[in-house]
Amino acid sequence: MSTDVSTPSSAPTPEPAEPSATKVARRILPSPVTGQEWVLVAIVVALWIVLSIATPAFGSASSWQPLLSSVAPIALMGVGMTMIIITGGIDVSVGGALMVAGVTTAKLLVDQGVSLPVAVVAAAVLGLVLGLVNGFLIAYGRVHAIIITFGTANLFQFVGRQIFASQTVNGIPGTLDFFGRGEAGRTLGLPHSFVLTLLVAVGAWIWLRHNRSGRHLYAIGGDPTAARLAGIQVQRLTLMTYAATGLLVGIAAVFTVASGTSTLDQTIGSGRELAVIAAVVIGGTSITGGRGSVLGTVLGALLVQIVASGVTQLGWPSQLSDFFVGVAIAIAVGADLIRQRARQQR
Amino acid sequence: MVEARLELHDISKRYGGVRAIRHADLTVEPGTVHAIVGENGAGKSTLIKIIAGAESADTGTMAFEGAPMHLTSTQDALGYGIQTVYQEPQLFAELTVSENIFVGREMVKGGRVDWPAQHVRVLELLDLLGLPARYATRAVGDLSIAEQQQVSIAKALAGNAKVLILDEPSAILTDSEIEVLFGVVRRLTDSGVSVIYISHRLDELFRICHEVTVMRDGETIGTWLIDDLTVRKVVELMVGGAIEDHPETRTTSDAEPRLVLEQLAAAGHFSDVSVSVRPGEIVGLYGLIGSGVAEIAEVVYGMRHATGGRILLEGKPINPRHPRDAQKLGIALLPANRKAQGMFAFQPIAFNISVSHLPLLSKAKIWMDRRRETAVARDMIQRLSIKTPSEQQPISAMSGGNAQKVVLARQLVERPQVLVLAEPTQGVDVGAKEEIHRIIRALAAEGTAVLVATSDLSEALRISDRLHIVRSGTTTREFAPGASQADVLAAAAGADEEVPA
Amino acid sequence: MTPEADITRTATPAAGAPTPEPAPDRTPSVVQRALRALLTQRIVLLAALLVIVVVWMSVLGAGGYLTGAYDADYLSGALVDAVPLCLLALGELIVIVSGRGGIDLSIGSIVSLTGMIFGFAYGRWGWSLFLSIVLAVVVGGLLGAVNGLMVAYLRFPALIATLASYYAYKSLALVVTNASPISDQRVGDLYSITRSVEIPVVGSQLPNVPLGIFTFLIPTVVVVWLLAARTTFGRRLFAIGTNDVAAEWSGLDVRRTRFLAYVLAGVIAGLVAVYISGQFASARPDAGTSGNGLALPAITVAVLGGVAITGGIGRVAGVVLATLLITWLNAGILLAFTGNDGTQFQLLALGVVLIFAALLNGLTTRRFGGSR
Repeated sequence: MSTDVSTPSSAPTPEPAEPSATKVARRILPSPVTGQEWVLVAIVVALWIVLSIATPAFGSASSWQPLLSSVAPIALMGVGMTMIIITGGIDVSVGGALMVAGVTTAKLLVDQGVSLPVAVVAAAVLGLVLGLVNGFLIAYGRVHAIIITFGTANLFQFVGRQIFASQTVNGIPGTLDFFGRGEAGRTLGLPHSFVLTLLVAVGAWIWLRHNRSGRHLYAIGGDPTAARLAGIQVQRLTLMTYAATGLLVGIAAVFTVASGTSTLDQTIGSGRELAVIAAVVIGGTSITGGRGSVLGTVLGALLVQIVASGVTQLGWPSQLSDFFVGVAIAIAVGADLIRQRARQQR
Repeated sequence: MVEARLELHDISKRYGGVRAIRHADLTVEPGTVHAIVGENGAGKSTLIKIIAGAESADTGTMAFEGAPMHLTSTQDALGYGIQTVYQEPQLFAELTVSENIFVGREMVKGGRVDWPAQHVRVLELLDLLGLPARYATRAVGDLSIAEQQQVSIAKALAGNAKVLILDEPSAILTDSEIEVLFGVVRRLTDSGVSVIYISHRLDELFRICHEVTVMRDGETIGTWLIDDLTVRKVVELMVGGAIEDHPETRTTSDAEPRLVLEQLAAAGHFSDVSVSVRPGEIVGLYGLIGSGVAEIAEVVYGMRHATGGRILLEGKPINPRHPRDAQKLGIALLPANRKAQGMFAFQPIAFNISVSHLPLLSKAKIWMDRRRETAVARDMIQRLSIKTPSEQQPISAMSGGNAQKVVLARQLVERPQVLVLAEPTQGVDVGAKEEIHRIIRALAAEGTAVLVATSDLSEALRISDRLHIVRSGTTTREFAPGASQADVLAAAAGADEEVPA
Repeated sequence: MTPEADITRTATPAAGAPTPEPAPDRTPSVVQRALRALLTQRIVLLAALLVIVVVWMSVLGAGGYLTGAYDADYLSGALVDAVPLCLLALGELIVIVSGRGGIDLSIGSIVSLTGMIFGFAYGRWGWSLFLSIVLAVVVGGLLGAVNGLMVAYLRFPALIATLASYYAYKSLALVVTNASPISDQRVGDLYSITRSVEIPVVGSQLPNVPLGIFTFLIPTVVVVWLLAARTTFGRRLFAIGTNDVAAEWSGLDVRRTRFLAYVLAGVIAGLVAVYISGQFASARPDAGTSGNGLALPAITVAVLGGVAITGGIGRVAGVVLATLLITWLNAGILLAFTGNDGTQFQLLALGVVLIFAALLNGLTTRRFGGSR
């Protein structure tokens, strides 16, 4: 470890004369893409190339378009989950919330015949409300997030199943095709759901990097007590983080319903919370809080879906993809731990 | 006359039954460096916590620039421009230096953090502290502890401090870093900032401070201009005239040393430490915080690994790699940080005592022998006069002194050959301190070789048969019993040498 | 300074625990003390809730508001479902108590995977039942050891390590038979282990009890209780969970103890795999992972039973009571609602009880300055 032990006296600090704002901004911020993210980019590209060679079908548009469609809901929820985990929290109720928002949307479409914007707004608002429930209990109840969200996960599933009323929702119209897998759901070959997810992710990335409150999330995750002493409104920001995640889960529910068949069954959302957490963790966000990036989460979600898609296209049993997800989590976190340890030894 | 920047009058504070400070007075003038000195436990840290708004006084009044001041939170204090740099930097490891300096009060432009504006200020501050400009974008977690502390100072300065409290800033700094710090402090006072300076290194006071307030046993003894003082005078004020007592001059055997440290070294912490302890002897290692005393104890106990030199036990070299190894060799250690390293907080006393002796207090090393566990715990409660209704009390419900006795009891169950005590009476009240010292003497009388590593001078003098001074990570001088407090403190504070340039 | 302040360690103080002194005579009224115990001690709270639930449901049943009889026979029969839940919750107790964010999300996947291996050994390879169970337990222990290795030695956060193994094991369980269950005759016959039996001697007055209570539940509860409350391992476990730095300074082998906690959880999951194979009369590759899986309910019950997510606190009796509470509450709900509504209201009940208990805990520890 060659640490920097330059004595202060030997450090000439040539003061740049009135540097341009953008130049300063570039130098004052840490590198926008972390090591873990470069590694993920490399792995995603490498997998893409290998799979394209191994199974020519993989490279075709009919293969990667659905792939991007299925990345969208996980990555979108992952954006919210990343913020939550950065603050040192966790939300295992997103699967349940997805179910509530999804089945409500489907029912609205079938029974009320609502339009696309109404469906999106309704799902988002519903998700927001569920997120507020979580956020309120966690921020003001002073109970560990994992316990509260285990509890609300059960509550949300109850609500979801009550709305299902022990049946499937049938005959969902094509109102949501704009976010679906069909031709109507794409522009220039890109699924709208994925594009919207990317836009949200970029927005969140900028917010986390440049907004005051965004930076405060990292401080809260690093040391909540010190954050409070520094005048950061820990409780309000915590509440907001869970609420925002709820809202994103609502939109993810629209994507999920849109990309499904005309029938929605009660398995919607099942196990999604773990898939989302997996994407976040593979993306390099530290589960202990204080560190992480939305960009990594999108890459993590992409990696998981490429693996799943690759496994099927190679003719392997589809269930094997989860095995690779597990291995990917272990490797991603292991690599991160090694980096952290190397850093501490300096 | 100019209005005093900060005035405290008749401040008292209790923690439970312990009086941390009583009737403390302090007046800090604008543009001066005001030192507060006193031994560990004299009440310095409580006093600065009250000024910083982290604690509220039970009685007394405070005034800021002549107007009454009431603090209920650290935010209030910050509002007055009272900034505190604690020993433990309160920084966010994952955020950059620049972000840490501005966290909670970022400059904002158009809804976004105004990085360029902050950067300009950060560069000024880094320049002021002599840190390279590129540090602005480094994550704080990547910096050394000393550098992190300088970031803490920068953070305090960014808030336009009117009163800057520096709590032992020099304990972890190198000489050249201290030079830089003093430069900063002088520039600040020139611009009218008042600095409250806490330090154990008394030689420093004469290079930087204008006034000195001495605390002893929770009281402020008085305030003097630095020109009216000498190191020796300060020391005498700190320790008071009264207690130059050495209750009993114990006679120790001339037996072969049981524990010998030969030119022991641990890279980055201490080097060339040579100490020997005979059976029945109490050897003190006295050094200020950061001098390396704590680390020496850790090496003997196998918590830290030596990088040079030897440890001999009964003449044979040993190399404990883990506390278990040390325990098997008959070495026990009372850790310095009771809460973090010693206590199993919500577990009962019996649990806390038996936890290091599970093989001994069990049948076939598997089943807990609860009867013997209880018997041992009760025996210890009685022998060490631990005040508790039952050995099933959780240790977290006990006072500092009693909890410390429980942790000490854990070290005594198997009658160690060598007992190492790190800060044995930190944070305990006077009565318990007395009792713990009595216990230590009784142990030595039974033939245990005792090594006491402490930063408490009166303790070092009272308990030791021989006393080594540790300074800058090495044993410098040895004192016989009966050495004067002033001599020892002066040696440890570095006043017997020339002031480094 | 009351003896009941000791809420942390021994499971049943009655069992020969020396409670040396009676409470000092400061005479707060009986009501005050009862209320305080109710609010600060999870065991008391759970016992009270259990009584309330059973009495209330029985009253409802007697009044004809339920679709069936909520009587002793029914309650006894309902215990069939309590066995896997309680066992896995005990597994979670061990890992959560071990501290440093201890948790095991993979416990349900271990059930699935060891269940398949058990199915192969017993159903297809013709191993004896005993050897097959031993194999299931050993495999469960090995799978748990992988978790333990990651958490204790490589210092992975437990949540992540077990999330990774959750996916890996779940996938392997499905892949080994291409997602089809093993329902061979021998496995099918195992259904008999979940039948109800009459208790000897006094049984004629009492309802029949599911056999699994005697073959799986009680032995495991006793062993885990002995382990936690009576062995040196238990001491080390609670020590590292309470303060693993102090445990290191006390000379304990922190890493090995934590490693063993995960191994034990795996062993218990192996037992559950055998039980569930019997219950379903087949080894199903998604036995522990279908729907919500078995891990999340197990963690929920452990937390409800008073296991502190921060480690070092947890009692076997609390977990057992929490299991009974949930099981009998669920059984009542099933009778109170028709069709699928029952299973849905069970989710509601579980969620509400968990959040209520957690909030209450947070509140009372602040109000009464409880154990933390």
